Amino acid sequence: MHYLLIGGSAAAVAAAETIRGLDKEGLITIVSREKYYPYSRCLISRFVDGRISQDNLYFKTRDFFKRHKIDGILSTEVKKIDRGEKKVILDNNKELSYDKLLLATGARPRLPKIDNTDLKGVYFFHSLEDASLIKEELVKITDAVVIGSGFVGLEAAYALARRRLKVTVIERCSQVLPNQMDTIAARIIQQDLESLGVEFIFNESAIVINGEERVSGVTVSDQDYIPAGLVILATGTVVNKELAQEAGLATENGILVNEFLQTSEPDIYAAGDCIEIQDITSGKRVVSATWFNAVLQGKFAGSNMASFSKRYSIGVGIQNAVQFHQIPAISYGMAMLDTEDPHSDYEVVAIEEKGVYKKLVIRENRLCGIIFVGDISKAGFYAALIRHGVDISKHKSKLLDPDFSYAYFKEYDFSEKPPYKKVNLCWDSQYWWREKVRCMGI
Amino acid sequence: MKRLVVDLQRCSGCKRCELACALEHSSSKEYLDVFKSKDGLKPRIFVESIGDRPVPVVCRHCADPLCVSACMAGCMQKDIQSGVVNNQGYEQKCVGCWMCIMACPFGVILTSSIDSKASDCTFPQAIKCDFCPNKATPACVEACPNEVLTVEES
Repeated sequence: MHYLLIGGSAAAVAAAETIRGLDKEGLITIVSREKYYPYSRCLISRFVDGRISQDNLYFKTRDFFKRHKIDGILSTEVKKIDRGEKKVILDNNKELSYDKLLLATGARPRLPKIDNTDLKGVYFFHSLEDASLIKEELVKITDAVVIGSGFVGLEAAYALARRRLKVTVIERCSQVLPNQMDTIAARIIQQDLESLGVEFIFNESAIVINGEERVSGVTVSDQDYIPAGLVILATGTVVNKELAQEAGLATENGILVNEFLQTSEPDIYAAGDCIEIQDITSGKRVVSATWFNAVLQGKFAGSNMASFSKRYSIGVGIQNAVQFHQIPAISYGMAMLDTEDPHSDYEVVAIEEKGVYKKLVIRENRLCGIIFVGDISKAGFYAALIRHGVDISKHKSKLLDPDFSYAYFKEYDFSEKPPYKKVNLCWDSQYWWREKVRCMGI
Repeated sequence: MKRLVVDLQRCSGCKRCELACALEHSSSKEYLDVFKSKDGLKPRIFVESIGDRPVPVVCRHCADPLCVSACMAGCMQKDIQSGVVNNQGYEQKCVGCWMCIMACPFGVILTSSIDSKASDCTFPQAIKCDFCPNKATPACVEACPNEVLTVEES
């Protein structure tokens, strides 16, 4: 059996590891266009500001490929998939045949419609290569503009501000993280970054990048000119679905897969940022570019490829955890409802005090989204309630109490072995103390 | 594979396990220093309550841990031999991205603040039950007066 995995990041690596766990003999090949050993894209901002070294970017140990007997082909792109012959053609015209193929082609940064994005000093903030180039440039630069304030934009802004650059972020919406956080959470995160000197311009799009050969600044509306020695483009991502499209596989916004992560061709699977998932919190099909999703999908796809059938039914599009400067924040599920529409069937419970903001969105007695800022403890427990559709009607008044915890739901094991010894039936009645007296031998 | 087993009916809610845990994971191992430190008491075992009944919530060192899947630095790992899930002592270092906190269904992972004295790390760290690697029996188990907590090997 030859498993061929296209892509060299979270999903492909998780799939390879899972396959090797289930099939000790099969051949596993990873083809990655990156020239580096699998590294964590999410950490490149910490590499740019010098808090971690390049060695710390690698999320698997150095002997990962060798230990799992994986053939890693780096700096190589797949040009074409031949479904009939069950082979792929690489950019060096070599051919690789496969029995099972995984597309984990990920996403690439979107090129905004602005003039002069080809000037020197204009970068994406996507790969280790981008990060290394930006890092080299930093020594001679004092000001920078970041276009876009999603997670990538803010990570870039934060890294540059840590390197004492004067950073301006341009965002066309009225808040930071417009796709992940509501206005209150966005304001707290914005203030956290502002405390480090980052400036924000909202409701504006960059019109043109100025400069000859090298960037000198960015023009925002008709008159505003911001000098900048460095411009970072962070205006979202585009799914890498062309390879699948050309092979005739079904695609829409992303590659379409069934619940076993199979594409329209049964021997070709897809996982990670390149696929569309069914978001269980909103009921919509979405493309989600998050590390956690990619790893889980990789594991499920790997298991299915090795013929251990596993249904992937826990897709949640938004799952973000972040800490820029001082303030940690987590958003999970559908938590974006800003105002309470009297006709909607969504309920919102929120508290905001002393830099802590917690918001829960409830629908039909089930949680469907959370935003925690400042205090993120137990966020995963709330996320599990969302994922497993647990009925919370009995505990509605306590949802944001400090002692609201897993203890209330100890009968839910969330598919792990419970640590609790079986309790006597009367333990859950009002006579529980009798059982205690008996048990303690008092 | 090691894990903690909890006998709910024996727990009186004295929280000695929490104290012992916080103390074991402090640098000085002195109560007063722990209380005075910036982080304060940060036990990795949680005696919660439902009404008047105490329920200790512990890390299960899951068979298929979500915190490990979520970790973008690769530092959260499940030890093959002992089965203990932890983010310290590996080649990869915790960078405080909090993905594990978002992933853990039992809510047993915490954030630390940056303690520059304690270590050379630049980032606040995710902290969780590490099964007390320097002890034969975890501190919480030793401290429990009612034999609520036991270690089970399987």
